[in-house]
Amino acid sequence: MSMRDRLRTMGLGAFGLLLVIVSWEVIGRNQLLGRTFPALSDVLATIVDPARRGLFQRALEATIGSALRGFVFGSIIGFAMAALGVIFPPLRAGLDRLAAVMHAVPLIALGPFLIVTLSREGTPTAIATLAVVFNVFVATSAGLRVGNPLHHDVLTVLGAGSWERFRRLELPGALPFIADGLKLAAPAAVIGAILGEWFGAPRGIGIVIVSSLQNYQIDLLWSAALLGAMLSLVAFGAFSVLERWVVGRFR
Amino acid sequence: MLSPGAELSSESDKSADGSTDPSIEHDDISISTSPVLPHVDASEIGPANLSLSGVTKRFPLGRNDTVLALDDISLDIAPGEFVALLGPSGCGKSTVLRLLCGLEEPTGGDVRIRGCHPSELVADHRLGVAFQDHALLPWATVADNVALPFKVAGQPVDNDRVRSLLELVGIAEFAKARPKQLSGGMRQRVSIARALALRPEVLLLDEPFGALDAVTRRRMNLELQDIWSTDQITTVLVTHSVEEAVFLADRVVVMTGRPGRIQTIRTPGFERPRSPELLRSPEFHELVDELTIALDEEPA
Ligand SMILES: Nc1ncnc2c1ncn2[C@@H]1O[C@H](COP(=O)(O)OP(=O)(O)OP(=O)(O)O)[C@@H](O)[C@H]1O
Ligand SMILES: [Mg+2]
Repeated sequence: MSMRDRLRTMGLGAFGLLLVIVSWEVIGRNQLLGRTFPALSDVLATIVDPARRGLFQRALEATIGSALRGFVFGSIIGFAMAALGVIFPPLRAGLDRLAAVMHAVPLIALGPFLIVTLSREGTPTAIATLAVVFNVFVATSAGLRVGNPLHHDVLTVLGAGSWERFRRLELPGALPFIADGLKLAAPAAVIGAILGEWFGAPRGIGIVIVSSLQNYQIDLLWSAALLGAMLSLVAFGAFSVLERWVVGRFR
Repeated sequence: MLSPGAELSSESDKSADGSTDPSIEHDDISISTSPVLPHVDASEIGPANLSLSGVTKRFPLGRNDTVLALDDISLDIAPGEFVALLGPSGCGKSTVLRLLCGLEEPTGGDVRIRGCHPSELVADHRLGVAFQDHALLPWATVADNVALPFKVAGQPVDNDRVRSLLELVGIAEFAKARPKQLSGGMRQRVSIARALALRPEVLLLDEPFGALDAVTRRRMNLELQDIWSTDQITTVLVTHSVEEAVFLADRVVVMTGRPGRIQTIRTPGFERPRSPELLRSPEFHELVDELTIALDEEPA
């Protein structure tokens, strides 16, 4: 992409963002969509309100913690499942089916089940983990399978076994795909953690959302939702940068 | 049919007949013709002999169609011998090499290296192959690509060996570069260096100099000849250059296509080491012309 194209894309992005901010403010200020749609400035004022500072901080800490743990556990599990399928091909079909089943069960339906089997504290991490596993498993499996057949031939005639082949060829070749999977898994972990909190975690952004909804605290509800969205965007942005680097390095 | 090449040959019977029990016969000959070299790796086991006997290869083509790529190929290659394969595009030269390195199984007939399936030599990491398409790992540096055979074999990387190979193929300054930063010809040379890394017993080269200019190509030919005369590696070289084949090889095998068959075999028996002057000698040109005509001939 040339410098000019890049500037154009950035310009368009900034313009879009500005459009959203302005229309949000106008709609909210004039209550065009009713009393439950506050102006952006009111939402931002709530977020920076010193009286709310402690609440948001504790909530963010809890959600970030659960999302991070879920992200790490989920990535490890998803990666290990995909790697197992490549190193021990007989396991592959079973692992694919397991991942498909896991994906087919809606995470929200697992909530009550996790609450009783795990704990109210553990549920956000568990749901974040599940949300990440599938993304990472699918991306890693795809990446490990694309391998260039010519490279396979090279490794074969060098006398490489399946472990050497995995380590020298399949893994480095899969890294761009894995990075892409992580990029999608990072916001999924945030959303999974917030979803898990709805089932009664002690604190977290999800809890702020649920309780402000019940108490009809519209500004607070929007503030928490906005914070959650920002968190997930930041996670996405950070892993986009990582992905771009990995693609440049390994492809 | 007598060729000038055959007449010139001092050891034309080295393996040209290849009829009965080639392994024993060739072992005898190699001992009698070549002095025992003071080479640690080579003298332990010695270079390997290769044999293709009655090999046919069919590939599936479409739903229930097949193509006969090779038809009844028989060729015995003595230990330490250098054989060049010539033939029109699509006649099955790469297929012969893929059979020899065990990447394909013959549909009929037998492919043996030192009497065993090629996979045995592969498992010992004693086979060096440079593919038609260089197939370098894009994420590894040039030096790491040449060091790959050491790593795969679980051996410590011999950095001096890697450096000297890169010098040999003339790309030492690019050791830290990545393949995509090199030209096509440079990538081919890296892949030759990689094939040589572990001092293989058998070297299979598929048009390794195809992307090189005439001068570099000639220089690489001379260097390949040096390696070959010190290490006595059994070598099969696929090439489109008749001069290259005649200059380097003990035997030149000409193939015809559809299906791939051996049309004729010539034995350039010129004395070794062969110097660039040979390229100007009338005997050399006579053989080159003859092979060029053979390549042009339609199969009977
Ligand atoms: N994997 C394959 N599947 C189907 N057909 C194949 C396959 N590999 C080779 N062939 C066929 O076998 C024949 C010989 O191919 P091969 O690559 O050995 O030719 P070649 O002599 O190396 O040609 P070139 O000089 O162009 O490299 C061709 O007709 C090709 O279509
Ligand atoms: Mg070929």
